[in-house]
Amino acid sequence: MPHIDLPQGTLDLLILRALALAPQHGWAISERLRQMSSDVLRIQQGSLYPALHRLERRGWVKARWGTSENNRRAKYYQLTRRGRRRLEADQDAWEKMTAAVAQVLGTA
Amino acid sequence: MFSDLFIRLRSLFRRTAVESELDDELRFHLDHQVEKYAASGMTREQALRRARLEFGGLEQVKEDCRDARGITLVETLAQDLRFGLRTLRKNPGFTAVAVLTLALGIGMSAAIFSVVNAVLLRPLPYANPRQLVFVPEASSAARISDVGMSYPVFSELRDRNRVFTAIAGLARHSLTLTGNGEPSEVSTVVVTQDFFALFGIKPLLGRALLPGDGQRGAAPVVVLSENLWRSRFGGDPAIIGRSIVLDQRPFTVVGVMPAVFRTPFVSQPNQVWIPLLQDPLFSVWITQPPQEHWMPVIARLRPGVSFSQAQADLATLSAGVAKQFPVENGWVAGIRPLQQELVGDAQSPLLILFSAVGFLLLIACANIANLLLSRATARQKEMAVRIALGADRRRIACQLLTECSILGLAGGIAGVLLAWCAVSGLAPLLPPDLPRLHPVRVDGFVLAFALLLSLAASLLFGLAPALFAAGSRPQTDLRESARSGQARGSQRARGALAVAEVALAMILLVAAGLLMRSLMRLTSVNPGFEPEHVVKAEVSLPQFQYPRSQQWAAFGDQLLRRLRAQPGFEDVAIMAPLPLSDGTISLPFAIAGNAPQAQGAADTADYVTASPGYFQVMEIPLLRGRFFSDSDSMSAPAVAVISQSLARRYFPHRDPLGRRLTFAFPPSPSVPREIVGIVGDIRDDSLGRDPGPMMYVPFAQAPLWGGEVVVRSGLSPSAVAAAIAAQTHNIDNNLPVTNIATLPNLVDASTAEPRFRTRLLALFSSSALLLAGIGIFGVMSFSVSRRTQEIGTRMALGATPASVWRLVIAESVKLVALGLAVGIPAAFLLTRYLSTLLFAVHPGDPLTFVAVALLLSLVALAAAYFPARRAMRVDPIVALRCE
Repeated sequence: MPHIDLPQGTLDLLILRALALAPQHGWAISERLRQMSSDVLRIQQGSLYPALHRLERRGWVKARWGTSENNRRAKYYQLTRRGRRRLEADQDAWEKMTAAVAQVLGTA
Repeated sequence: MFSDLFIRLRSLFRRTAVESELDDELRFHLDHQVEKYAASGMTREQALRRARLEFGGLEQVKEDCRDARGITLVETLAQDLRFGLRTLRKNPGFTAVAVLTLALGIGMSAAIFSVVNAVLLRPLPYANPRQLVFVPEASSAARISDVGMSYPVFSELRDRNRVFTAIAGLARHSLTLTGNGEPSEVSTVVVTQDFFALFGIKPLLGRALLPGDGQRGAAPVVVLSENLWRSRFGGDPAIIGRSIVLDQRPFTVVGVMPAVFRTPFVSQPNQVWIPLLQDPLFSVWITQPPQEHWMPVIARLRPGVSFSQAQADLATLSAGVAKQFPVENGWVAGIRPLQQELVGDAQSPLLILFSAVGFLLLIACANIANLLLSRATARQKEMAVRIALGADRRRIACQLLTECSILGLAGGIAGVLLAWCAVSGLAPLLPPDLPRLHPVRVDGFVLAFALLLSLAASLLFGLAPALFAAGSRPQTDLRESARSGQARGSQRARGALAVAEVALAMILLVAAGLLMRSLMRLTSVNPGFEPEHVVKAEVSLPQFQYPRSQQWAAFGDQLLRRLRAQPGFEDVAIMAPLPLSDGTISLPFAIAGNAPQAQGAADTADYVTASPGYFQVMEIPLLRGRFFSDSDSMSAPAVAVISQSLARRYFPHRDPLGRRLTFAFPPSPSVPREIVGIVGDIRDDSLGRDPGPMMYVPFAQAPLWGGEVVVRSGLSPSAVAAAIAAQTHNIDNNLPVTNIATLPNLVDASTAEPRFRTRLLALFSSSALLLAGIGIFGVMSFSVSRRTQEIGTRMALGATPASVWRLVIAESVKLVALGLAVGIPAAFLLTRYLSTLLFAVHPGDPLTFVAVALLLSLVALAAAYFPARRAMRVDPIVALRCE
């Protein structure tokens, strides 16, 4: 399956979306994104963690240490209220944009 | 945004905790990934390898995470500082040269700035100093400006103006203070009634002078300065109400002014203030007719009144005054900021010196940039490696700039120390009229200036090397050696810097050369008299004790008779004012028999009263007629001697001898005086000004309350001075004999300021020359080492050492020629601003330009000589093998 480079800024949106259901640790987030995109989106792990730390600094996600399914200490990320609002806003904007882009491409 | 701040702070202060958390988090991820791959059937090792590959550089990710958490700003700075310090410590030679060069540039700039700050930038030490204005009178018809005003005109302005809250006049002279120890002269400021109200100054003790003190019939009162009160009266608070004796007359002390208050135009710390009406000399002048412009006037603008409104009001008032006093026709009162008036002529030399140190600092920066560039070329491989390993170019540039800032700050600190030592020597740059609260010193302003300067300088000399390093291309740079091709860009930059240095040095050297030539002309100018072997001393008669002019004449006569009898005294005289040191008295005069002149457009000449013998003392030649003699007494016919230029200008076709001049020195009335002699011209105002018309009267016919005693004698100056004092005290033990000096010293002192200025500029420009020489040496020796291989090849192919030598010299000649091509026109444009400081030298003086260009070329060639010799001795075999 060929994988696609993510447009600028989309990674943040995807991470927020992956966290929308439940708190996750970093590895699970990357796995989840891979599964949700049917293997098309492969997140460079090198950019995942800096993105997570950036989101944490912006106050969109909150981190706390917990215990993983195999009983190890893991850092779990969780959406904050601001993060959730951000997700909704960004998702909305994204849908509008893709629809518009699709429309333009379709009419050509 | 608390989460942001919290995370940043936590990253900063809990670094180890944050770092280990980051470690844990990433390891957890890797472990999971490895397990996942292992579960899919890979061996443990394969899984580990795959996971690592996928993850990328662990350190890189960590660095990115740190960036994302926003630790980097402060940490990077700290890291860069540590790294910079380490690099600089490893190159002590380079660091020392750079810091010293900078310290020189910044130190000199800061020192000059401290004077600029004290003189031009700081407000005057008075309440609301911007409202204070000097109110001079000017007449365009008589081509006279910036003079004081007469008392009648002053009272008109005071009573009728609508633009000032207060206006006051002042005059100064010396009164003799007796009692409480040795008789001494105190600088006496004679003021009109609103003087202290004008400055809004509160007395330290007692009260200031009040309007009532200035009324006719009021008791004589005096206000002391804190300095005089402490030094002469031991700071006794009971001084208020006591009386002190000035010129043998008691004055009641009513107040003491704090030391922070200094009178404008009067810089002595020991001073007293008395009402104008109580002064033995100036009280008479109140009634003088308006054409005597003797009193400087200062006023305070009403808040909200603009300069132009005030000017307009004064113009209207002046027109009214002219109707009342016809001699005032054509005279207009104007205003000028008081600070500007006090700073006076000091401004332009100061700004010129300030620009000169600025140029010097630029040269210093260019030199350091040159050093840094050659180091950057040497570090080219290091940079290429760092970039290849993933270092951010911006980060590298920032790091180099940090290194430069360390250099800059170190240079700045050393420079401030230098400035701190130097400022006390800069006192001759200060205008004498400006009342100074504090001595010139390195204060907060100067420190801030030095800090700014060192940062700006670091940016200036650091920018080129930083850009050069950030532009490194790892692929080519790593393959090639640091010596070959790639350094071409930096070599061009270094050449440009050397050209700039030569150009700047050219400007400074031309300026210094012009000032030196001007000074040489000035000091070799013939003043018209012979100062060698002349000693002078000032004797002053207390006017309350010697109120009548007959007494003054008698005193002069008696003193001269005693001094003439002194063995070893060749010629003696009493006179005033002494040329080149006492200032001049310019008086209007009329020639009897000529048509009366238009009102307000009188001819003027410098007035001197001198006893017989004065011309002999000064060796001023007699051209026609006769000198004064003892028979020109008060009862004899009034006579005058004129100078050659007065004779030429005003008696072009007639014989002046036997004609009459009419002029008056207050308080003597105008009398027609017969011209009995013509003497040679002298420079009385300054050596730099051409002699103007002068008229002399016999001291016996126009005596003063004392004067300058001048003696020509082969004896030692101290013996002469002792004899003058002894003979004066034989007449009256209470007479002060002051300001003893030799005439050659006074003539020297009259050029002290230009001499000091010239010496400073010479210092700056020789530093500039040295730095430019070092700069060219640096560029050339680097160029030679870069081209070693090329030179080796040339020699292997048959080039002679002489042709190699020529090759190198030609390169430096090109640099110097370019530098001169820029520097000469620039100097030509800039030296125009020097013209006010030059005496008998044109700012475009070809000799100076040629000499300076030659000097610079010689120094540049000398600087290129050693690298050229090294190039000549390159061994082709060694040179070719080393690559």
